[in-house]
Amino acid sequence: MTSRICALVAAGLWVAAGAAWAHHNMSALFDFNNRVSLTGTLTKYDWRNPHIYLTVDVKGDKDSVETWQVEGPPPSFFRIRDVTKDDFENASGKTVMFEASRARDGSRTGLLRVMTLPNGKLVSACPQNC
Amino acid sequence: MKKSARIAIVTMTAALAAALMLAPPPGWGQSNNEKTQATDDEKAKAAAKAKQIARAFEANARKLTIYDRQGKVVATVGPRAIYNTPVFSPDAKRVVVAKADLEKEIQDLWVFDIATGTSIQLTFDKARENSSAPAWSPDGSRIAYVALRSGAYGLYQKASNGQGGEELLYKLPGVGTLTDWSQDGRYLTYHSSDLGGGTLFALPLETKGERKPIEAFRSSKQLLGMRLSPDGRFMSYTSNESGKNEIYVRPFDPAGSSTAAARQISDQGGQGMAFWRRDGKEFYYLGADRSIMAVSVSTSPALEIGKPRVLFHPAEEIAVAPGTSSVSRDGERFVISVPPSRLRQLTILDRQGKVVKTVGEPGVYFQPAFSPDGTRVAVGRNDPKTGNNDIWTFDVATGKGYAVTNDVWPDNSPIWSADGKQLAYVSTREQYSGIYRKAWDGSGQEELLFRYTPGAGVGFSDWSQDGKFLTFATGVLLIVPLRENEKALDRKAIEWIRDENNEGGGRFSPDGRFLAYGSDEADPVDFAGGGSLDVYVRPFDASKPEAPGPGPAVRVTKGGAQIFGWRRQDGKELIYMNRDFELMALDVTTAPTFRAGTPKLLFKLASPQTAISPDGISRDGQRFVFGMPVAPGAR
Repeated sequence: MTSRICALVAAGLWVAAGAAWAHHNMSALFDFNNRVSLTGTLTKYDWRNPHIYLTVDVKGDKDSVETWQVEGPPPSFFRIRDVTKDDFENASGKTVMFEASRARDGSRTGLLRVMTLPNGKLVSACPQNC
Repeated sequence: MKKSARIAIVTMTAALAAALMLAPPPGWGQSNNEKTQATDDEKAKAAAKAKQIARAFEANARKLTIYDRQGKVVATVGPRAIYNTPVFSPDAKRVVVAKADLEKEIQDLWVFDIATGTSIQLTFDKARENSSAPAWSPDGSRIAYVALRSGAYGLYQKASNGQGGEELLYKLPGVGTLTDWSQDGRYLTYHSSDLGGGTLFALPLETKGERKPIEAFRSSKQLLGMRLSPDGRFMSYTSNESGKNEIYVRPFDPAGSSTAAARQISDQGGQGMAFWRRDGKEFYYLGADRSIMAVSVSTSPALEIGKPRVLFHPAEEIAVAPGTSSVSRDGERFVISVPPSRLRQLTILDRQGKVVKTVGEPGVYFQPAFSPDGTRVAVGRNDPKTGNNDIWTFDVATGKGYAVTNDVWPDNSPIWSADGKQLAYVSTREQYSGIYRKAWDGSGQEELLFRYTPGAGVGFSDWSQDGKFLTFATGVLLIVPLRENEKALDRKAIEWIRDENNEGGGRFSPDGRFLAYGSDEADPVDFAGGGSLDVYVRPFDASKPEAPGPGPAVRVTKGGAQIFGWRRQDGKELIYMNRDFELMALDVTTAPTFRAGTPKLLFKLASPQTAISPDGISRDGQRFVFGMPVAPGAR
């Protein structure tokens, strides 16, 4: 987070944007010490600020399907990490693996740490979400 | 090598070769003119990024400075850099410190020899890794630290002379901050604290097999900075359990979580940096007012705590904080990574950049804003006695100040009501940031106007002239209608513009028909110093505030704008400051449609370290108020 703040200062955005660009303190909603690793089908992605959202259908017990909502950093985070909207478009409907910090309320939502796309590409939300 | 791994390597190699063969050479399919233009654009962006990083460095670079017990500077060490968490070696001859590299987005640990100023690099982060929170072994031969490696945080150690590789001591399940290596060498102490509460841990080092941390104490409040007393019987830490940060001591039980009562060491607030002297007879911490405090203590036969006394008070311009300072084991030396002076003088300039007047005394000010009639200035102010950020107003003619807020919560972004009688501002209280309003002189009760989602910040940028709308940003540009008879907690923020671009800094036109805002649509911000926000204008319809009115956004600036605002008097001018700290003005018309003229230079600010705000533009556009840097000791 520190580096992100420094980068915001460097980009000259501090005054215009205020101190709010991180949107929310992730630790309020997600427990960084409680992680889950799952595999499922990427059914939807929302490539917008202040966070991207990924919807993944994970096979549960007895062939049931559990739908997980995974929150990631903003699109701008990925710009210098060679991850684009097209990566998620191409992964739609296909199998992805992901690791996330679970929501404190116990719901099937998580904060994205890493995701492996169908073509093997690793999408990391670290250090922001680690 | 396993077959699957070999296949993977062969596949990757083939894919790479294919990609190289199939990929067109750079510039393929472009005309020479297009290629030249693209190259020029890339060069310009790279130059702008380098300039931004250089400015960020100048604004944040610190000097490692050693003080004695009387607060006298006895040495400075190494070059200026962006340092964090300096820690003395046990013999106080060396300092280990985290040093950030803005361009590479990494933070490595370095060890400086105090006498010679020479240094060695201890850690070697890969891209976007970091190393932090160092602690020396009791004999000074090793340094433990927290490092992010391959997407996971862990506690590592390495020889303090930099020789050999780093050793993983414990892979953290989440995040943690290392605070000390016990003086008997048996434990590393660390904390994990967030909005869900805090936990203090001790990691036993002398165990066979897998190391398992001891949960020394857990609380629903924040817990920070655990350190064991030299005899290992007590642990000190910082907690906000009383509503403000104080320093506490409680027994340390290696068998598990402590249930014994805590004793408070600090008597008027303690920010942290709690530290035991080697003989366990004296204890140090950073007071609420940033004084370096000392307390006589004894841990045997029973815990006895004396009355805290001030050793010295660093100058106001030195933003000493727990993460930027520490104490030597003998209690004779203090190291602070001293940042650039924070002192600012409220200064009014005319349209030519000439100083018209200064207001009040120098202080730590931010976001100065003119009242509608220009007779007062509202500003965020860091109180040197309490360390709190409050909102103040100053009378321009007399310099007399009024505390609008006087609380323990961080307050910022003061914005005047159109009639100049009230101020709206952001205050963050526990998990919630909200927008409040209060009379300009601090009288009467404060009123909550809007409260946002828990844990989320609020980049408040304007209050419409009719008083019916607020706008703030989170990367998304949001509008809050202030409907009468609606309770503050029932008010909802409307996502006015939400897309993949960063938008913020919304400013209502005086007639309320347009909203100017910043967007990085044309030059995306990459969080590594690249990109910038430009000013755009779109119609705003008060009867349909759910989305921008019809018509495309009009881009008003090119090359980036840091602040911008309308000439409130008539809305016929937009004024902005570009990334070279030049104040620019352009004529605009809002009827029948929005049109913008060509920007003209008004003047250039002498220092990029100036406190600025879009509300620092007077209603008639003839005056500007800034917080201008002043030399240390100017007070």
